[in-house]
Amino acid sequence: MLEVLEALLYSTLDAAPALVFAALGGTLAERAGVVSVGLEGMMRAGAFCAAVAALAVPTPVGVLAGMAAGAGMAALHGWLCIRWRSDQVVSGMALNLVALAGGTFLLESFYGPSGTPPVQQLGRWYLPLLEQVPLLRALSGHSALTWLALVLPFALHLLLSSTPLGLRLRAVGDKPHAVATLGLSVPGLRWAAVLAGGALAGLGGAALSTAVLDRFEQHTPAGLGFMALAAMVFGRWTPLGAFLAAAFFSFGNALRIGLASSAPRLLEVVPQGVLLALPYLLTLLVLALQGQRSSAPAALGTPYEPESR
Amino acid sequence: MGERLRAVLPSVLPVVVAMLVGWVGLVLLRGAEVASQAYLYMLQGGLGDWGRYLEGGSAALVLRPLGESAIKASLLVLTGLSVAVAFQVGLFNIGAQGQMLLGAVAAAVVGAQVALPGVLHVTLAVAVAALVGALWASVATALKLYRGVHEVISTIMLNWVAISLVDNWLVVGPLRARGTHSVSGTDEILASAQLTRLLGDDSRLNTGFLLALVAALGVWVWLGRMRAGFEVRAVGLGPEAARTAGIAVGRRTAEAMALSGALAGVAGAVLVLGTEWRYPGTLGAPYGFDGIGIALIGQGHPLGVTLSALFFGVLRAGGTRMQLLTIHRSFPELLQGLALLLVAGRLVWVELLRRRKQPAPVASSPAQPQAEVPRA
Repeated sequence: MLEVLEALLYSTLDAAPALVFAALGGTLAERAGVVSVGLEGMMRAGAFCAAVAALAVPTPVGVLAGMAAGAGMAALHGWLCIRWRSDQVVSGMALNLVALAGGTFLLESFYGPSGTPPVQQLGRWYLPLLEQVPLLRALSGHSALTWLALVLPFALHLLLSSTPLGLRLRAVGDKPHAVATLGLSVPGLRWAAVLAGGALAGLGGAALSTAVLDRFEQHTPAGLGFMALAAMVFGRWTPLGAFLAAAFFSFGNALRIGLASSAPRLLEVVPQGVLLALPYLLTLLVLALQGQRSSAPAALGTPYEPESR
Repeated sequence: MGERLRAVLPSVLPVVVAMLVGWVGLVLLRGAEVASQAYLYMLQGGLGDWGRYLEGGSAALVLRPLGESAIKASLLVLTGLSVAVAFQVGLFNIGAQGQMLLGAVAAAVVGAQVALPGVLHVTLAVAVAALVGALWASVATALKLYRGVHEVISTIMLNWVAISLVDNWLVVGPLRARGTHSVSGTDEILASAQLTRLLGDDSRLNTGFLLALVAALGVWVWLGRMRAGFEVRAVGLGPEAARTAGIAVGRRTAEAMALSGALAGVAGAVLVLGTEWRYPGTLGAPYGFDGIGIALIGQGHPLGVTLSALFFGVLRAGGTRMQLLTIHRSFPELLQGLALLLVAGRLVWVELLRRRKQPAPVASSPAQPQAEVPRA
């Protein structure tokens, strides 16, 4: 029994970072009032650029390239939405479509349909001390990204809840005009949040192509960006909530994969498709029970017009 | 004429610029000669090889490409209309993909499991698909009206619920074709449920195309000429003002969203009954998501949606022929994404054009259209 739990924990910790980073990125941007339905596209750009870069340079540098790609997509989003006050949902969906078609096109043009050539995966950290301890053993043998995914949510939580910058970021998503009356730059704060959010989504994509897998595949990230969106909503737009939701969804996924190989009989009773739909169904259920207005940032999706009320 | 031009420019310009950007991209990748030939192939693949046909080639040289374009266009018309109708009432229906998927499954089930004479069978299959799409969209409406859940969030979630349930459960489980060795996909539909082919064996063109055009006409009449459509538009422009004027805002919102879902469901039915003849393992093509681009490029107007769907239908069908030059067929989709991005950034180039119009010291480039562009 303990071994089963260990194995589940291990595969959760291995796969979760991608979802955690993207969910945190979305949370950051949306807390500042900018809708981030483009997470999927940012992840795809990050995954692609990280894999391509890692073919030429050391993988950690490739991961940075992935973050830069995510931030680059976010910069386009920010330029359209903050500078030009475009519709944020339209811009985000446009990014998704461009990344979807563009990723496929570039992949097919340079590498062929099966994906990029394999890259050197990120190094795994083995902790001999922990490997003696049952259950905690699962913590050993992951890439640095797993540890980052365990620390970052708390860092972001502290940032948002206990620093002046965090207060300003939250305020700019709730009452931008109040922030402006303090002499602070609304666009500046939103830019910071959107770029950082994009870099995190890019990091999530990079985690997929350099830590979970060892290449960029045709369908990467296969809807994970939308699941990150679900995690963000499920976690009620807070870093810790998004982290727990992402971890929960990842655990559910690990459980599903584990069941598929060890207890296929059980999956005849509860089919895989139902389990796959569960994160989204739960998110809908939470929204239906609690309503959205209570937790979403008040100015989410509203372009900032200095001269409106 | 100036007025007309001003109205279509926000649609035409992004498409033209996207095509130019795509061409420049191809030039950088493969050189000018290949790029130009690729665009020629894209047109030939979508509109037909008229040169060879006029030299005495077979009719299939033009009929088959035109038919493929029309097939792609009919799906884009329907999903584009779906998103556009929701826009009219002020909602952003990102869920057309999920509604289409469920419509497709419903059509496949009715097509295979019910025995009815020809016309009745097709009609029933399409109607059930429309109903299922409408119901799925109405979940989002209910969440919006009763719980204040933003429809963007709920329709995204509903999409993935539909995708997971259909592709990973229904068509690999309870609805999987019996007696075959294939791992997934439903039973083939009966001949009586197939949409009639219009051009015999030369082309796969079927009555789904006519259905899409009729739907566009219907939506146009509904929005522009009927009280319900007028009230829907009033709600979209300002729900509070509409409520003050005595319009039942909730009811009109629900109606428009149900129609939106129904149109997406019909798109699924046209796909299954027209060309696939069963629900395949996965409904790979994201026509539902494409609908967002088509609706926005067409400015949410039924005629605009139809025209932009026809245009991209041609490019999509032509993309297949570009493969001859080892240019992947996703290229037209990339163009469509770029065009949508340019539509999203409409205010950018409106401003740029306005600056250029002013008596600037810089000589205006001849490529810039001289017409005035509407303000945002």
